[in-house]
Amino acid sequence: MRRGIWIYIGGRLLQSLLVLWIITTILFFLFRQAPGSPLAAYIDTTFTEEQQQALIARFGLDKPMHIQYLTYLGNLIQGDFGDSFRYRAPVTEQIMDVLPNTLYLTLTSLFIAYIIGVVGGVFLASRRGTTVEKGGIIFTLMTRAAPQFWVGMILLAIFAFELRWLPSSGTSSPGVIYRSEIQKLTSIDFWEHMLLPTFTLALFLHGLPLLLMRSNMLEVLDQDYITMGRLAGYSERFLMLRVAARNALLPIVTALALGIGYSIGGNVIIENVFAWPGLGRMLVSAVAGSDYPLAQGAFFIIAVIIVLLNFLADVLYSVLDPRVGSSSQAQGV
Amino acid sequence: MALLEIRNLSVNYRTQRGTVHAVDNVSFDLDSGQHLGVIGESGCGKSTLMRALVRVLPRNGDIVRGEVYFKGRNLLELSEDEMRDLRWSEIATIPQASMDSLNPVQKVGKQLEDILIRRGRHDRATAKRRAVDLFELVGLDVERLGHYPHEYSGGMKQRAVIAMALALNPSLLISDEPLTALDVIVQHQVLEVLKQLEEELNLTIMLATHDISVIAQACDSVVVMYAGRLVEQTDAKTFFSEPAHPYSLGLQQAFPNLVQPKDILVSINGYPPDLHTPPTGCRFAQRCPFAQEACYQSDPVLTSIRDGHLSACLRIGEMDTLRDAARQPHTWLQTEASRLVQQNTHNGKQEPDAVATQHDDDTILRVNQVSKYYQIGGGIAGLIRGQKRQTVYAVNNISFELKRGESLGLAGESGCGKSTTGKMLVKLLEATHGEITFDGIDLRTLHAKNQLEFRRRVQLMFQNPFEALNARFTIYRSLAEPLIIHGWKRDEERLERIIETLERVNLRPAEAFLDKLPHQLSGGQLQRVVLARALVLRPDLIVADEPVSMLDVSVRAGILNTMKALAAEMGLTTIYISHDLSLLQYTCDRIAIMYLGQIVEIGPADEIINNPKHPYTQALIAAVPVPDPKIPSPPLRIRRGVPRPTEIVQGCPFVERCPEAMEACRHIAPPNVQIAGQHATRCHLYGEHADSPKLAPIAAEAIS
Amino acid sequence: MQHEIKVNEITGITDAKVLSGGSLLTNFLRTNAEVFKRDRLALTGLIILVFFALIAIFAPVIAPRGPFEVIEADGFWLSNEKPSTDYLLGTTNLGRDIFSQLIYGSRVALLVGFSAALAVAVIGTIVGLIAGFYGGWVDTILMRLADVAFGIPFLPFIIVLVAFLTPSIWIIVLAMAMLLWRDTSRVIRSQVLVVKEQAFVSAGKVSGASNLRIIFLYIAPSILPLSALYGSLAIGWAILTEASVSFLGFSDPDVVSWGFMLQDAFNSQALSRGAYYWIIPPGLAIMLTVMSGFFISRGYEEVLFPRLRKH
Repeated sequence: MRRGIWIYIGGRLLQSLLVLWIITTILFFLFRQAPGSPLAAYIDTTFTEEQQQALIARFGLDKPMHIQYLTYLGNLIQGDFGDSFRYRAPVTEQIMDVLPNTLYLTLTSLFIAYIIGVVGGVFLASRRGTTVEKGGIIFTLMTRAAPQFWVGMILLAIFAFELRWLPSSGTSSPGVIYRSEIQKLTSIDFWEHMLLPTFTLALFLHGLPLLLMRSNMLEVLDQDYITMGRLAGYSERFLMLRVAARNALLPIVTALALGIGYSIGGNVIIENVFAWPGLGRMLVSAVAGSDYPLAQGAFFIIAVIIVLLNFLADVLYSVLDPRVGSSSQAQGV
Repeated sequence: MALLEIRNLSVNYRTQRGTVHAVDNVSFDLDSGQHLGVIGESGCGKSTLMRALVRVLPRNGDIVRGEVYFKGRNLLELSEDEMRDLRWSEIATIPQASMDSLNPVQKVGKQLEDILIRRGRHDRATAKRRAVDLFELVGLDVERLGHYPHEYSGGMKQRAVIAMALALNPSLLISDEPLTALDVIVQHQVLEVLKQLEEELNLTIMLATHDISVIAQACDSVVVMYAGRLVEQTDAKTFFSEPAHPYSLGLQQAFPNLVQPKDILVSINGYPPDLHTPPTGCRFAQRCPFAQEACYQSDPVLTSIRDGHLSACLRIGEMDTLRDAARQPHTWLQTEASRLVQQNTHNGKQEPDAVATQHDDDTILRVNQVSKYYQIGGGIAGLIRGQKRQTVYAVNNISFELKRGESLGLAGESGCGKSTTGKMLVKLLEATHGEITFDGIDLRTLHAKNQLEFRRRVQLMFQNPFEALNARFTIYRSLAEPLIIHGWKRDEERLERIIETLERVNLRPAEAFLDKLPHQLSGGQLQRVVLARALVLRPDLIVADEPVSMLDVSVRAGILNTMKALAAEMGLTTIYISHDLSLLQYTCDRIAIMYLGQIVEIGPADEIINNPKHPYTQALIAAVPVPDPKIPSPPLRIRRGVPRPTEIVQGCPFVERCPEAMEACRHIAPPNVQIAGQHATRCHLYGEHADSPKLAPIAAEAIS
Repeated sequence: MQHEIKVNEITGITDAKVLSGGSLLTNFLRTNAEVFKRDRLALTGLIILVFFALIAIFAPVIAPRGPFEVIEADGFWLSNEKPSTDYLLGTTNLGRDIFSQLIYGSRVALLVGFSAALAVAVIGTIVGLIAGFYGGWVDTILMRLADVAFGIPFLPFIIVLVAFLTPSIWIIVLAMAMLLWRDTSRVIRSQVLVVKEQAFVSAGKVSGASNLRIIFLYIAPSILPLSALYGSLAIGWAILTEASVSFLGFSDPDVVSWGFMLQDAFNSQALSRGAYYWIIPPGLAIMLTVMSGFFISRGYEEVLFPRLRKH
């Protein structure tokens, strides 16, 4: 390993923890802003005053703010987000139930989107200055500008309601119950349900890697070492695919890591259109139903995933690019 | 049969403004074993020519006409596949920016092996062995094969690229400006590698360069290009003894020479013509002191003077007379281009006495034990950025004084601290230790009010004229800026001062420049604007950081002459910072040599050049290529590579590279030893430890 | 660090050829004119944007009815009418005129788009300028703040904020301003770092120019086109975000927006009825306005990075 790279990674880790701490603090104060008593939804009108007080004490809401804050931090560290108001069960369980669904959807879509994006980016770069390139760019911008829920709605209207080829919502048809994740993943029914949301998400996600790959390619193709490769008698094909594409891919790898984080946070939309029981849908219904512990837990998990993947993206970049974290930068020797 | 025959080769570029005729009807031969230098200033078409030979042109470049026969085959008729097979296996071309020619994310050894395997039918194992051989051939440490390009220095990268080019045993090596952007010692070493390859491998070489001393040292024949045309062709000896084209005459007069310093450097005023619409007559006519009416009418053809010596000049018959006239500097003021700028008597060296009389005992600048340290890394920020805490001793305990009207040159390799020193003198940087006093004021004590006055009196002139001016400001605006800052409220007064200053720097008529934007001017004109901006406040001290290194040789002299003349006329004190000793010898009264942040030798310019004491100074001077094939450059007794200035050395900073290193040099910092008068050096050879036992001599080939 | 990708793309600009002399303002305007003159796509974007702006301004004149006006016929709501000459795009299941809603919806989209873009560009530019120019601790703190903004999940944050405070488009704008400055400030900062090392800035210092003079006269002009680039990108993101939040049901129920219309359609079984006349137009309108922002930002990119345009 290169000199300094471990120091770099360690430093980045510290920085990520700092960021995470600030975010949890923001979260703490944000959720204090929730309208009404934090227990409003939990407390039934039939509760007596004493019962209410007991509940408030049980959730620690009678303690001073800073004690509440410390308790909150302590619980978070132990992975304890409290109990959901609505389900009357630990938030952690709820999240663990739906997290796999979000991951299946996100990772599959990203995988497809990045393959298409990278190949498409190289293709567009190789058609520099042609109408094909221009058309490709405009199409890609269209897919990024079209609201995901709208695209999803149209697809649903056509394929689920008009043609009745595909199911319209959820992860399973009525009556189908998956007893394990393995069973879920090997069931055709599940993949039929995955098809439309995956396609919609991938259609939106492919734009970033495609545009990025294209501009990276153009940048790399203008570098002197490509000219040198031409002078050295390498074929254009070799230079394009083996040298330029490889070097242009570096930042894409980082973008992918970032993309995982952001799309998990942004899946809110797709999950709601397709009634996909994932983290994003859970967050929205928790907020809408004033289930604050659940909303807070879901928010926190999404934030952790984003910060973690931002960190991974940086580490990945520093590992892949020999120039990062090396203290022996070229001296004018 | 010649190895390479070029016949009527023309190359065009398509641009938004039309067609550029970059190479126009060029023909010449290259014999096997020949070492040909192609010389010309930027934009003359030499790079285009070299890349056209192997048909690797930028996208908008077209070969419109001609034939290129290599070993009897017309390269321009080959299929793309055949041509690709030929590249590097027969003709190895090294591009100009070889610093950036290596793939930054692949180990250099891997890149070399790739070429051997993909292009040379080697397998992994033989490729590895061959890579080792090649690295040894160009004098690179074999361990370096496992390193990435960013871990290489400039000189090492250049060697690595040469090694790659030789990988497939080509019969012809074409190298574009192999030495540009390298330090003088590294230049010398790369040149040595090239010369040694010429001998060992019996290579045929074609070098493009703007530097006639490279021709003198490494080539046996010369082709001179001007504005896309071949204007002279001859062997190297004749080129220096009997050049036969006015442009060649001018180049030789414009080039400084350490061994035979010229009293006056000649500037070939003006600029090459716009190749969108080349003139009908001789392309050099505007800048030629010998141009006649006919030169503007008819285009001279390449004519044989005697066997193998061709020149494209209408007055080829009177060349002996012209050659004599060209030695007279005033001749070069007779050109059309000179008349356009109404060049006045500013050209020319001031009488030495005239300068001397201005030196009284009035010390204007005092630098006393000044150091500049940088911390890199460390702290939380450093931890985050992954840098270890390190101190860079950019400038380490330097002292000197400067008298009013005097000019001092700061010389040294890149990274020696000369530019940092310059920035401290104008207070762009604060010194870490020590004191700098300007006219009795300690720079540290400057506060808002007298800081502005200090800013008026001390100016900095920048290296790159294309960056030194705000691209969005007109010339007027750029020059008015300092006046506005210094409270010149009235427009008329400002305009008057600006026009006066522009005329002083020979931008005439000044009015024509006021509304121009920087990109509308040439490099030379821009640098004059930069000079004008430095002068517009009538300062007392100017620090000029590499004032001409970005400019073509033919216009350098003009700027330097103007600066010298104005300094004398306005009583300016000047500090020139440059890597170019011949330039400093030409412009400065005294020279200070810096090495790793220290001044290792300081003294009168002629003393330093002719009687250098410090082994480092001696090496620097020996490394300067001499523009005369009769004087071969001496071998360098020095190790390559400058260590990083990140630790304070106990003894002499030069000890690791010094051929004379002694036991004492390891442990005791050398004191400042007075040689004679103003000449002093920091070296134990001349001090009380002169008899300290010598360390084992280092091989000249030792590798960093 | 993590946005090195974009930053690297951006730091390529030292090519200031497109920009010419004059004051800060004329300079900026001239650059803008240049962008639209040179780039057809950017011009198209501008035309689309102006088109929607005109619709928004003259909405009461163009729209035949109020957005929430319930059309009754014979004492019944005229729900789920198919498009006809009377109701160009038909009616909703509550008997409201879809075409009129579409026209009024442009107001929210443009209001959110422009105000968020302005806020993002202004905050991002100022933070970037300060962080880049002063460096040191100021820089460290500001950039850590940007890291925090990068770590906060964008849409969930806005949803929570809107849900906890009163639902209003201004809360959405505020939430976006609080997070989206991060990209702009990073890019601006790295560009400032490049520009401030350029010799003409040192020249200003050597002439005695004050820090403020340096920032505004020397550095800012090279930065403003970048702010415009990121600002026009933000127009698109802001409109998309507002639409998404409305679609999820967190918008002000008294204001009609395109996202609100789609939510209405989604919840009223428009999909199963195949009521494309209700689904397609609002989404198309969103896509067009967002695209116009993207087109304009590409125009800036092409002018700022001529490399990508070449040949």
